[in-house]
Amino acid sequence: MNMSSCTSIDPLVTPYVDDELAAADRAIVDDHLRRCGPCHARVAAEAAVRDLVRSRQPGLTTERAPWSLRTWCTGAAHRAAADMPDAGLSGVADNGRGFVPRLLARVGVAPMAAAAGLVLLIGGVFLYQATHYSARLLAAELAADHIKCFAANRLLGTRDEPAAVESSMMSAFGWTLHLPEQFDASGYELVGSRRCLYAEGRVAHLMYRDERGRPVSIFMLPKRARPEELVEVLGYEAAIWSSGDRTFVLVTRGSPDEVQRMASFVKAALQ
Amino acid sequence: MRIRGASNVATEGWSASGRAGAFEQEALSYLDSLYRTALRLSRDRADAEDLVQDTYLKAFRAARQFQAGTNLRAWLFTILHNTARNRFRDRARDQVTVDSEIVERAADATLVAPAPRSGETPETLLLRDTLAPELQAAVDALPAPFREAVWLRDVEEFSYAEIAEMLDVPIGTVMSRISRGRHLLFERLNPTRSPASALRAVSGES
Repeated sequence: MNMSSCTSIDPLVTPYVDDELAAADRAIVDDHLRRCGPCHARVAAEAAVRDLVRSRQPGLTTERAPWSLRTWCTGAAHRAAADMPDAGLSGVADNGRGFVPRLLARVGVAPMAAAAGLVLLIGGVFLYQATHYSARLLAAELAADHIKCFAANRLLGTRDEPAAVESSMMSAFGWTLHLPEQFDASGYELVGSRRCLYAEGRVAHLMYRDERGRPVSIFMLPKRARPEELVEVLGYEAAIWSSGDRTFVLVTRGSPDEVQRMASFVKAALQ
Repeated sequence: MRIRGASNVATEGWSASGRAGAFEQEALSYLDSLYRTALRLSRDRADAEDLVQDTYLKAFRAARQFQAGTNLRAWLFTILHNTARNRFRDRARDQVTVDSEIVERAADATLVAPAPRSGETPETLLLRDTLAPELQAAVDALPAPFREAVWLRDVEEFSYAEIAEMLDVPIGTVMSRISRGRHLLFERLNPTRSPASALRAVSGES
């Protein structure tokens, strides 16, 4: 007869409940449980919870990823496949740059004029009428997005190449864009682009840092003209204006004068 | 039984020419379970969405590091775990606070709990009376290490070895976390529990 103790049984209880024990160990536990009421109760409790969770598994797994997240991830998958067409499950040789993905490569400085160049070349169609909102609500939502996107950017520490941004805009929005390769000395660094979850993912977000490292966002929204406004919200300034049939919102921290100067810079480049 | 690698990739809004590659498609087939797990880890929808986004970004960027033929699903969950751990490390969000509503419900349940009929044990009552939403709330109230271990094992059905690799801990630690988590759930959900035991269960005390 095996004179196993409660202590020696302890590490076997969970695999016993999960039916993962070898026959010999299982027999030891069975033998102990016949003689030990407290351990028997402990195993019964653990098995009951295991059975409960497993039996309720369908109810615990009904929630699905939100549409906006699904869309975003699908877009990211498409961009990844486009960037690394041979990086499938079959495995591929290194491209000579190590395993540094293209999107992680650090690049130089793109001026705010580059954003204007992007904007001018947009050829896609916006589907979401995001500009129905009041200027204050629009500014608040975009300021929140600005905060969130730059927080993610800080976390990931990424800088996108102009080519990666072009690819991203193409895959996410179907836009054919061209970012100038020549940079001037304006001091604005292109951080990247995102497809905002706001407005169901149909707002383009270009992210910059100015010469002081301060985050600056330019959002491009669908159609509909808006009056020019400068709105202070959540500690940020949002300059809103329209050009052609599109609305632009520049969001950053700074004095109203500074923000208006930045907006004027972009607007001038649009002329 | 779970069909791993089943292709349920959503491609809404993308043309046929815009479909992702095989690696990306299989990765996307785990989106829902990654999101649900991220929800359990963060207990916040916006955080869960960010975690999943970051997980896919990292996965796609590191696609070349993935060894063909190995477990893509477990690899993605490993990235999710590491992303969540790094993000929440400084937030001290994993301290489980005692939810007064939960304690009150626990107390009410004790007051109204019918006397067990002949042959009924706490275990049979637990299985009979606990609904999925109540169970999910109980899981969410567990301290993070136990919550994650129980979820990965009993809902996502990973093996001990897979979970150990994911969490970068020994298998023995995985088993003890699962065991502890299950016992806390039992304490919490046991129809014959006392309010004091429910309170202990919620706060993770022994």
